[in-house]
Amino acid sequence: MSSLRDIRQRIDNVRSTEKIIKAMNMVASAKLQRARAQLEGVRPIYHELKRVVTDISRYKGTETHAFFEKRKVKSSLYVVITSDRGLSGSYNANIMSKALDHMNHGKNEKIFVIGAKGHEYFKKRNKNIIRTVTNINDAHVYYGAERLANWIIELYLSDEADEVFIVYTHFESVLNYVPYVEQVLPLPIKSEEYAYEDDMKYEPDIHAFIDHLIPLYLHMNLFRAFSESHTSEQAARMVNMDSAGKNASKLIEELTHMYNRRRQANITQELSEIVGSANVLSKGESHDS
Amino acid sequence: MDMQQPGIMNDKKIDLTITTPRGVKFVEKADRVIMRCIDGDMGVLPGHARVSTVLGDGILRILNNGIEKKLAVFGGIAEIDDKSVKIFSTIAQRPEEIDRERAERDRQEAETAIREESEEVRIHSLQAKLRRSLVRIEVSLHIDEDEYTEEL
Repeated sequence: MSSLRDIRQRIDNVRSTEKIIKAMNMVASAKLQRARAQLEGVRPIYHELKRVVTDISRYKGTETHAFFEKRKVKSSLYVVITSDRGLSGSYNANIMSKALDHMNHGKNEKIFVIGAKGHEYFKKRNKNIIRTVTNINDAHVYYGAERLANWIIELYLSDEADEVFIVYTHFESVLNYVPYVEQVLPLPIKSEEYAYEDDMKYEPDIHAFIDHLIPLYLHMNLFRAFSESHTSEQAARMVNMDSAGKNASKLIEELTHMYNRRRQANITQELSEIVGSANVLSKGESHDS
Repeated sequence: MDMQQPGIMNDKKIDLTITTPRGVKFVEKADRVIMRCIDGDMGVLPGHARVSTVLGDGILRILNNGIEKKLAVFGGIAEIDDKSVKIFSTIAQRPEEIDRERAERDRQEAETAIREESEEVRIHSLQAKLRRSLVRIEVSLHIDEDEYTEEL
């Protein structure tokens, strides 16, 4: 049985936790707004570039280009995007188990991990992490994605990785985000599809065009994947903090009920004690007289 | 290539769309678009053949109803067909968006550094910086929309 003072103490504790939760909720929702604006900005250029890449893959002669040519796979590079901080529910767990699942299908993996959570997770499982980036400043993401794209291309062209996957969380709505594993290199060739009559010309020539297109496409793709993940993370945190806030309010309510009931019980007990002793006293008086 | 002169075919215009990582930035009709490709300038009139090309660092000139607009565009891809020009670039700036002071500062830095240093790699990046600052300065001088002179 906890005393009145203990309950009072617990209510105070939960109340201050609730305040922290509310603050985190507000921070996450502000960050979500910003992340969403960034994501909505990058999506159109990504989709258009993806369409250009798909169009070009139907073009004769692209299958021999280094970015399209299928090689014998000796090692696969995974770019896994996780978050640095927790308290975002199953967000990190989902993306990491998705990545692990994909790797366990007989891949000789090399992992580039973004975010401290992912680093811990893959380190614990003795995976081959070749590079880690943590504590990313939001302002540096754009140029970071560009550097990363160039690094991936270098690795790919120097035969250190024969295929490249990015693992990210696709943001669909505030309540719905889906982890994805997407193959970025080599690019898929659509030659088996009906090669449609296209009079599109590429200048200066097709290979030079691809050489310029692919770094831009990869840059935009990585930037988009990061924006998707970042937006999902903030949404997950916001939703989680929302339910945590509700739980805290409920707990406070229950504890307050308990506190009041205990207080009433104490008063009742005191009253009955007083009445009882008064009765005893008055009985004693009547005996005396 | 359609050999119609601009101005005669007023109903035929190019739909110009510029998409950057911040969204679809610029949607406009134009009589003529002149862009800087990696191998030189390229002018596009309505009815152009389907071509995709690689853009360099340079000025994008948009001519419409006798008004010329200039934008600073750095790299990217342009997709051209008979009615439209779609440009996908990481940076496309309007004159009013350009920080003129910063561009001037970059120019001075790059120019003095080029004079002092001789490393080839460094010069390469500084030349890019200089090129970009020069483009920005020229475009920023062009805030007032004035008549353009036909140079065909």
